[in-house]
Amino acid sequence: MDWQAVWDSRSLLIEGVFLTLELAAVAICLGSVVGLAAALARTSRLAVVNWAAQGYIGLFRGTPLLMQLFFIYFGLPYLGVNVDRAVAAIVALTLYSGAYIAEIVRAGIESVAKGQRDAAQSLGLSFPQLMRYVVIPQAGLVTLPPLVGFYISVVKDTSLAYVIGYSELLRNAQSIIDRTARPIEVYLVVGLLYFAICFPLSRMVARLEKRVMATR
Amino acid sequence: MLFDWSSVTRYLDLIEQGLFLTIQISVVAFSGAFALGLVGALARRSRLLPLRLIAATYVEVLRNTPCMLQIFVVYFALPSFGLKFDNVVAGEIALALNVGAYMTEVFRAGIQSISSGQIEAAASLGLSGTQIFRHVVFPQAIQNIYPPLINMVTITILGSSLLTAIAVPELLGSALVIQSRTFRTIEIFAVVTGIYFVLTFGTSTLMNLLGRRLFPARARL
Repeated sequence: MDWQAVWDSRSLLIEGVFLTLELAAVAICLGSVVGLAAALARTSRLAVVNWAAQGYIGLFRGTPLLMQLFFIYFGLPYLGVNVDRAVAAIVALTLYSGAYIAEIVRAGIESVAKGQRDAAQSLGLSFPQLMRYVVIPQAGLVTLPPLVGFYISVVKDTSLAYVIGYSELLRNAQSIIDRTARPIEVYLVVGLLYFAICFPLSRMVARLEKRVMATR
Repeated sequence: MLFDWSSVTRYLDLIEQGLFLTIQISVVAFSGAFALGLVGALARRSRLLPLRLIAATYVEVLRNTPCMLQIFVVYFALPSFGLKFDNVVAGEIALALNVGAYMTEVFRAGIQSISSGQIEAAASLGLSGTQIFRHVVFPQAIQNIYPPLINMVTITILGSSLLTAIAVPELLGSALVIQSRTFRTIEIFAVVTGIYFVLTFGTSTLMNLLGRRLFPARARL
């Protein structure tokens, strides 16, 4: 073991951590907005809107994220849009996580009995009121564990941006290995860094799950 | 002509090879993950503390680091310990280990779903520990975890695409080769998207139908 090589490259690792967190944060925020919109579109009575949402969700959940990433990175230029690596990574991760978040949110909404929603509507509550006073207070807690769980997987999935040359943590690790030929030390440190980000969140999910079980 | 599909049809054999490799990797990795998950779940419930600790560490480490990193570790770092695999085998091992950690949790939930009264009843009837697991716990647990199991198969199929990063010519890998030769990005990715879609949805639909045949009691619920 030779830790000097890792220590000398610490600035690259730190940069990698920040770019990974940045990419994850942007994808999670945008993906949540897209996911919420898609989930609402799924409940729409307009068949076209409903189908479009279903098609989007099915397409992005039924194909690998890595392929989506390549498709967007190589394909968008053909549509006349020139994308740099960061934009391609953000677009791919946003669309991908939006599809998953839509299903998580939908499951949450459906966890509130249909009768309650019908009752609220027959009382004359508008859709926003129905959401605000009936669905969200009950569905919010149930949705939280799978949602945070998915956010963790987004953090891990940022590592796929490696393949299009975005310098997140794994990419920088690989370039350190190329220079130092010290795979074991570098992978150990990088693994620990990912673990340090994801493990506390995983514990939080486990605690939230217990809370949800207790309310049942 | 906006689209040129001949560039795709000319490379059909490459796509076919990629498809078969994707299926092969998925089958091998999922079989491994199934076995690992079963062993892991039993180890997590073991009376021996070291076994519990090993299983818990395995699950937490594999679930809290990226699969891509795990693939790189198996392929690039294990050779330093004298464990050298070719890229397909290394990828299969890494994918099996990754999905196996999630399968451990799935199996654990399945085993926990069996009420302890049943296990006590079986024990009082004189069944041994192995008999209880084989005849009482496992048949019911597998029914209870069948839906997440289908989900895990889908995750394995989608995850096999990551092996592209270590130059395995599976479906996505072959698409990239064709793309770099023809620059017909839209056409080739449209075709491969369709194939992945059919693979994942076909598998989960078939498994759902199979589940209805295998577990008629559950289908009626």
